[in-house]
Amino acid sequence: MIAFLENLLRSKAFVVTLLVLPGLWPAVPIVQQDASVLADPGKYILHHLGFMACVVLAIVLTFTPLRVLFPSSKLAQALNRHRRLVGVTVLVYAALHLTMYVIYEGGFGTLMNDISKPFILTGMIAFTLLLALAVTSFDAAIRAMGGKRWKNLHRLVYVIAGLAAYHQIAAEKIFPLQVVWIFGPVVILEILRIRKRTAKKTEAIQA
Amino acid sequence: MLIRSKKDWELPESVVTAEDRYRRRNRRDFLKHLGVGTAGALLGGHSLFGASGGFPSSANPAYLPGDLKVTPYDLITSYNNFYEFGLGKDEPKVNANMGWMSEPWTVEIGGQVRNPLKLDVNELIKKVGGIEQRVYRHRCVEAWSMVVPWDGFALSKLVALADPKPEAKFLQMTTFFDPKNVPGQRTNNLDWPYLEGLRLDEANNELSFIATGIYGRPIPNQNGAPLRLVVPWKYGFKGVKSIVKFDFTTRQPRNTWQVMAPQEYGFYANVNPKVDHPRWSQATERVIGSGFFAGKQDTLMFNGYEKQVASLYGGLDLRRNY
Repeated sequence: MIAFLENLLRSKAFVVTLLVLPGLWPAVPIVQQDASVLADPGKYILHHLGFMACVVLAIVLTFTPLRVLFPSSKLAQALNRHRRLVGVTVLVYAALHLTMYVIYEGGFGTLMNDISKPFILTGMIAFTLLLALAVTSFDAAIRAMGGKRWKNLHRLVYVIAGLAAYHQIAAEKIFPLQVVWIFGPVVILEILRIRKRTAKKTEAIQA
Repeated sequence: MLIRSKKDWELPESVVTAEDRYRRRNRRDFLKHLGVGTAGALLGGHSLFGASGGFPSSANPAYLPGDLKVTPYDLITSYNNFYEFGLGKDEPKVNANMGWMSEPWTVEIGGQVRNPLKLDVNELIKKVGGIEQRVYRHRCVEAWSMVVPWDGFALSKLVALADPKPEAKFLQMTTFFDPKNVPGQRTNNLDWPYLEGLRLDEANNELSFIATGIYGRPIPNQNGAPLRLVVPWKYGFKGVKSIVKFDFTTRQPRNTWQVMAPQEYGFYANVNPKVDHPRWSQATERVIGSGFFAGKQDTLMFNGYEKQVASLYGGLDLRRNY
């Protein structure tokens, strides 16, 4: 069973399908003529694309801790093969989300007007940082920058996650619990990973 | 005693669609069954002899749709903020119709009044002289808007009935509190029960309205059955739903959203395109049902009711008193 899953996850086509299919979800209630979605379909699509960007971001953030915590797991290894693909998918969803926002607002006027508000500003900063990570995600960029500098730059992904979580909370009048479901697992995995690292360090010092 | 005559839209329980079938319906069937097409066509004319809670309703000529485009019935009743029944816009329609009863309904009128009352909602409607229809713009603080054909009565009639004492300066209105049957009230998303208030002169303004129906039919649970406040020059959250208590007070009530986030929501909550919400602009609004690429339309001062209400706020700094 696990071997089967490993093989599936090794396939790029399968992973791409997993990443793209949930993005098409809004088509379902629209085709079904669900009145609560048809009332404001643009907003529904806009929120869904933002939601997808956050979910895929949270997923890619679990890859490294999973590999550190379970170094011999073939599953964790299979996932880590797709880091770049999944990471770039975050940018694609974020870009679609921003495009939908501009269309929904009927032009760039609202963006220019609201850029000073923390809600919109955090979203725009997160998007800009994502763009910087995406354009430096190719092998040539890693070579040009040198591994260490590249790694430091790409640690910005944690800043992006924080901004994205705030942006998602600020979009609602009441704290949306989904933020906890999306980013909570990442926080737990990171804590476990850091604990494992410090445990190793103490071991090394004691030895 | 109120003798309730059966209206032509009333059906016996036996013909009600089983709930599972109702859930599986498609929209076209739904519309056909409700006869929304007919209601819409009638609305284009000058009067609508529908009913609400068994009372005939006719259009108030001062509040005809004019060139406003009235929002379809299924959108008005499927896109609701009623946190007692869930945070999603689609949730109240489902959760408020799973056994929660808005009938029979007792309303209490009290506080600084000469004529305190505790009576059935139908009795109240009779006492204030029945209902009429008014088409109002509705602007939500979330920057979307609708146009709703409400049935109901002027709030000033309820005020006159209560006969407030001179020390009464405000009117506080409270939603039911029933956490046992209403899932949202078991959370602490808001400080339950939902509470709203108006200055007494605002309550007596010609626009202030208690709605008991939509499109000539009794107001659905998800829209605030059996009676809710409608103050069209204010953001939608002022329109407290499913009211059980009208309380005339000497001091300004602390309304629920103000308690929740005082830097974002005030007591007045007047629609004002020049005063932004801290997180988003209020200059424009999305018209519900306008489709994918319609863009937004400009929001009007006092939601287009400046003529009727601007005099209430002479000398008041509307930026500070948001």
